[in-house]
Amino acid sequence: MRTDNEAAPHPPPAADPAANAVELVGVSKNFGAVTAVHAVTLAIRRGEVLTLLGPSGCGKTTLLNIVAGFEEPTRGRILIDGRDVTLTPPHLRDTGMVFQNYALFPHMNVFENVAFGLGMRRMPKARIATEVGRALEMVKLEGLGERRVRQLSGGQQQRVALARAIVIQPKVLLLDEPLSALDKNLRGQMQIELKELHDRTGLTTVFVTHDQGEALSLSDRIVVLNRGEIQQIAAPIELYRHPANGFVASFIGDINHLPPAECQRCGSDILFRLAPTIELAMPARADLALRDGRKAHIFVRPEHLRIADGAGEGRNRVLCQVVTHVYQGTHTLTRVEAVGLGLLQLRIPGGEIIERAPPGSRIVVTIDLDEATVLAEA
Amino acid sequence: MTLRLEPRFAAKARSGLFWFVVVLILLFMTIPAVVVIATSFSPSELVTFPPAGLSLKWYVRAVTYPDFQNAFINGLIVTSFASTLALITGSAVACLIERYAFPGRTVLEAVLSSPLIVPHFTTGLGFLMLGVALGINQGYAIVIVTHVLLVLPFVTRSVYVSLRNLDPHLERAAANLGASPGRVLTRITVPLLLPGMAGGWLVAAVLSLTEFTASLYVTDAGTQTLPVAMYTYIREYSDPTIAAISAILILATTLVMFIADQIFGLGRILSIDAH
Amino acid sequence: MSAAGTGAPRRRPFFLPFLLVSLIAAGLFLAALGDVLHYSVRLFIPGSIEVGGFTLANFARLLRPIYRTVLLATLIISFLTAIFTLLLGYPVAYALVRVRRGWVRSLLIVLAITPLFTGEIVRTYAWILVLGTNGFINSILKALGIIGAPLSMLYTSFGVILALVQFSMPVMIMLLATAISHVDRSCERAAANLGASPLMVFWRVTLPLTTPGIVSGAVVIFAWTMSAFSTPQLIGGGKVLMLSNLVYLEGLTNLDFPLAAALSLLALVVAIGSLGLMRPAIARLERKATLY
Repeated sequence: MRTDNEAAPHPPPAADPAANAVELVGVSKNFGAVTAVHAVTLAIRRGEVLTLLGPSGCGKTTLLNIVAGFEEPTRGRILIDGRDVTLTPPHLRDTGMVFQNYALFPHMNVFENVAFGLGMRRMPKARIATEVGRALEMVKLEGLGERRVRQLSGGQQQRVALARAIVIQPKVLLLDEPLSALDKNLRGQMQIELKELHDRTGLTTVFVTHDQGEALSLSDRIVVLNRGEIQQIAAPIELYRHPANGFVASFIGDINHLPPAECQRCGSDILFRLAPTIELAMPARADLALRDGRKAHIFVRPEHLRIADGAGEGRNRVLCQVVTHVYQGTHTLTRVEAVGLGLLQLRIPGGEIIERAPPGSRIVVTIDLDEATVLAEA
Repeated sequence: MTLRLEPRFAAKARSGLFWFVVVLILLFMTIPAVVVIATSFSPSELVTFPPAGLSLKWYVRAVTYPDFQNAFINGLIVTSFASTLALITGSAVACLIERYAFPGRTVLEAVLSSPLIVPHFTTGLGFLMLGVALGINQGYAIVIVTHVLLVLPFVTRSVYVSLRNLDPHLERAAANLGASPGRVLTRITVPLLLPGMAGGWLVAAVLSLTEFTASLYVTDAGTQTLPVAMYTYIREYSDPTIAAISAILILATTLVMFIADQIFGLGRILSIDAH
Repeated sequence: MSAAGTGAPRRRPFFLPFLLVSLIAAGLFLAALGDVLHYSVRLFIPGSIEVGGFTLANFARLLRPIYRTVLLATLIISFLTAIFTLLLGYPVAYALVRVRRGWVRSLLIVLAITPLFTGEIVRTYAWILVLGTNGFINSILKALGIIGAPLSMLYTSFGVILALVQFSMPVMIMLLATAISHVDRSCERAAANLGASPLMVFWRVTLPLTTPGIVSGAVVIFAWTMSAFSTPQLIGGGKVLMLSNLVYLEGLTNLDFPLAAALSLLALVVAIGSLGLMRPAIARLERKATLY
C-alpha cells in the first residue's frame, strides 16, 4: 500500500504491457439470459491494490472468478503478466485467492493448509517448511502450524487463508470479501494488517467488496461496478469528490440528490432553479458544460449543508422543517424537509442540535455547492 | 496455440471418460429392467433372449391369475394401513427425538432405527413367533405391524429432516400471537411438515408394497402379498408371466418416482441436494 | 437439538401421546426380537412346532462345519458386495451431485434411485433373465461369436454378487451423494487455485472430505447384504448359501424354529458386531472430516 507522501502514489500508465499484472479485454459473462459482466476492459497495474466495489449482484465476484479461472468469459480475453490465460485452467494460473468463507481444508492442519500450494509445485520438503514458517510469521501465526483449522478463531482462519495464498508468491492476490465474515472491531484491525502485509510483499492485489468504507481505506484505485458494467475507475479521493455519475455519487458515501434543476448562466455564477421559490447558485466551473435551459442533477454531501447562524446574509439559504435526528457520537445526522426540495440530510458535528432544534422546529439551511457534483441530464 | 489448448483438451477428455464410465454403470443398473420388459412381450413360454415376437398374452395371464389378484388386494390393504400407521408413528418419533429431552431418548432412537440393521428374516421370524404367541399369526394384523416397524425408520427420517429445517420461531410466533398448542400443531407445524410427511408416506408405501423377506414369514396363503405370490410362482413355473407383472411394477415405480421428483424434489427428500 | 444436554426434560405439549406411540412401536419390535431370543434357547421337538424345555443345544449346533462355511461365505459375499458397490457407486453419486443441467440431474436421480423401490423379487427375477443359460448375456456373447457354449453364471457366487451389487447401488449412491454434496466447493476451488490439477483436487480434497460417507456406505451395504435372502435363494439356487437361506430352510421348511432363531441371532450379532467394530473408525473419520 502506498501512502501519499511517497513519490508516486499511483504508478503512471505505461506503454509496456508488462507493467500491467492483469489485463481484462472486453470481458463479458452471461449466465443463460442473465448478463453478469458486460464488456469490461481493465488494466491492473503491478503492485497496486485495486478494489472491485459494487452492490451484490454487480458482477464483482464473477469478475474475480474469471481472473482466477473458475468462470470462463463468454467473450473477451484475460492476460496475466502479458500472457493470454483466457483458456488456462485455474491450477496453471498462479493466482492466490482468499475466499469469502476462507475455504480452509478441514482435514488438514494449519501447516498442511499453507504447504498445499508449495507441494503442488513440487518444492522440496525442507524448503516448504521454511517458506511456510516465513508465511505464518508474516501473518503472526508462528507456532500454530500443528493446530487444526477448526480450533482457530475467525481472525486466525483468515490469516491462514492469507498465508496460504501469499506463500506461493502469486502473480496476483485475489481477495473475495475477505473481511465480511469478521465482526466489526476485528475487521478494522485486519484492514490495517492487510495494508502492512501489502507493504511487505508488494503483491498486486484485487480486492472485492461491497463495503465502500473498506474500499476507500484500502485501495490505490477503485473500480465501481453496477449491473456488470464499470461505472468509474478512480483513486478513492477522486471517486468521493468527483463521482462520474449518479450511481457512483449515491453509492459512495451519503449524498443528497436534489430534484432536477433548470440552469442559467449569470455572470461568473450558474443559477439552478429547483422550484418557483428556490434558486441555488454556484461558481461556474471549467469541468461543467452546461448550456442555459438544460436540466441538471445536483448531488450534495451532507457535510456541505449547514445551519445558517442567525439573520446573517449568505447565498443558497433554504427554510426547512426538522424531521428527525440520528445521533452518531461524533456527529448527528439530521433530516429536514424543505418545500420544493423534499428530504435533505445534514451532518452536524456533535449533538447539541438535538436540543436546539427539536423535530418540527424551523431552521435555515445553507447549501454549499462549491464541492457539489452536477450532472447534466442525458 | 497447442500449448494453450492442451489442458482444455485434457479436461474435455477427462470429463468424457468420466461420463462414459457413469453411463456404463447406469447401464449395468438398468439393463435388468430393460431385459424384463423385453421378455414380457415374448410369445413363447420358454424364456429366451431376444424374444421371437410380440405378444401380450403374459400380461393377460398376469392380471387374470387369481393368486396375483388376491395378493395385489392383500398388498393394498397391508400397505395402506402400514404406511399410514407408520406415518403417524414416525412423525411422533421424529418430534420426540427432535424436540424433547428425556431420559432414554437415545435408547428409543436406537431401538426404532434398528430395523434398518436387523436382518429382515430375523425381524420376520420374530414377528411370526410373536404372532403365534399372541394368537394373531393368521390375518392382516401381524403383517401390518411387521411392515410398520420395517418402514418406520424411513418415515421418521423424512419427517425429522423437515422438522430440522423448520424454523422454531414460527411456532413461537404463533404461540405469541395467541395460538394454543393444539392450534400451533394443526395450523403451523403440520402444514409446514406436509411435504416431508407426504414424501415419507410415499417411500413407506412403496417399500411396504415391495417388501418380501419378512412378509414371507408373517403371511399365509390368505394374506400373502404380491412379492410373496411372485416368489411362489417363480419356484413353480418358468414362463414370462412374472416378466409381465415385473414390467408393470417397474414402469409404475419409475412413473411414481418421476412424479415424486417433480412434486417434492427427490434430491431434497433424500437430502442429497448440493448446499 | 437445542433441548439436548439441558438436563431437565423440557415441558412441551403432546409429550405423552408422542411417547406412548413411540413406546408401543419400540415395545413390539423388542417383543419380536425377544421371541427370537426365547426360541433360540428352547428344545426342538422334531415334527412339531411346539418346543421343549430350555437348552443351549441350538447354539452348540451352530458350531458344525456346514454353518461355519456358510457364515464365512456370507461374510465374504457381503464384503465383496460392499467393495464393488462402493467402487461403482462413487462415480454415479459424484455425477448426480455435480451435474448442472436440471433434466440430467432428474434423470440420474430417477435411474439411480428407482431400483430401490421396484422390490427384491422383481430385481432378482430380472437377473435370472440376464444371467440364465439362454439369457441376455449369453445370447449377446453367442451372437458376437465370443463364446460357443453358454457360460454358467446362474447358481454361482459371481452371479449372486453381481445381483447384490446392483441391488445395493441406490442406497450406496444416496449415502455417497449426501457426503459429496456436503463438500464445500470453495475448498476444491482453493486447491485448484493453489495449483492442484483436477485429479489432484479430487484425490487430496474431495475424496478425504467424503470418507465418512464412504465408510458408512460400505458398512451399511455390508450389513444389508448380510440379510439378503431372495437373491442368494433364487440366483444361488441352493448352490450359494447364505445365513438367510439356512434360516428359511430350518424355520419354514423343517419347522425347526429353535435352530432358525439361533441362526437369526448369529446373523444379528454379526451385523451389529461389524457395525460396532466400524464405529470408532467412523467416529474418528467424521471428526477429522466434518467442517469446522
